[in-house]
Amino acid sequence: MTVKVLYFGRLKELSGTSEEVVEVREGALIEDLFARCSTARPELGKFRPSLVAARNREFVAWSTPLSAGDEVGFLPPVSGG
Amino acid sequence: MTAVHSEDRIEITRGVIANAEIAAQVRTDEDGAVATFDGCVRNHSHGRATLYLEYEAYEAMALAKMREIAAHIHANYAIRRVAMVHRLGRLEIGETSVFIAVSAAHRAAAFDACRCAIDTLKRTVPIWKKEFFADGAVWADGELPTVPAETPAAKPASN
Repeated sequence: MTVKVLYFGRLKELSGTSEEVVEVREGALIEDLFARCSTARPELGKFRPSLVAARNREFVAWSTPLSAGDEVGFLPPVSGG
Repeated sequence: MTAVHSEDRIEITRGVIANAEIAAQVRTDEDGAVATFDGCVRNHSHGRATLYLEYEAYEAMALAKMREIAAHIHANYAIRRVAMVHRLGRLEIGETSVFIAVSAAHRAAAFDACRCAIDTLKRTVPIWKKEFFADGAVWADGELPTVPAETPAAKPASN
């Protein structure tokens, strides 16, 4: 199945893209997806402790299972206002 | 979906925020107070002179989170209307990046709800700012939103 991954802020700069479609196995978790994305970009992996994940626009735990077509954001600390 | 009070105004914009117009929009004859928060671009950060800021957002989620904040303060404070507008793109020193206005019959609820709204926005709304200095640029230190420790497995559909 495929999911859409969004990058923002320093992650967008690091990834060189704001979004991509990623193929993952059925039953994959958010953390599996992050591992997959970091394999392609090793620099991404070191940001893991300072990121939160969002699935379909809600903050979720890294252990959350994915469904086909999900929109996933790996979000740096927020600094609006 | 979070229910939206029809008189509320929750927006993300790339244009200049019309502070006075927004503050006027929340006021009704039943209100004795309008509390506002004007978040503006400061000319320094950690002892360095800031030239300008650039804001970006996960717009769909940011709007959803801003609507949740409005719903939360309606549920928890005796207020009437809420306006919350955040600007994106390049902002110069002194410009408004976020403007919040809350009307209420009495001042305590208006102040408290307005404070709650900006504090929650800064912790939970996916917006990021990059600070530009004479000798480079950095993404501002931010706050990591709180995330549920575990998301319960989806329940089977019940009948």
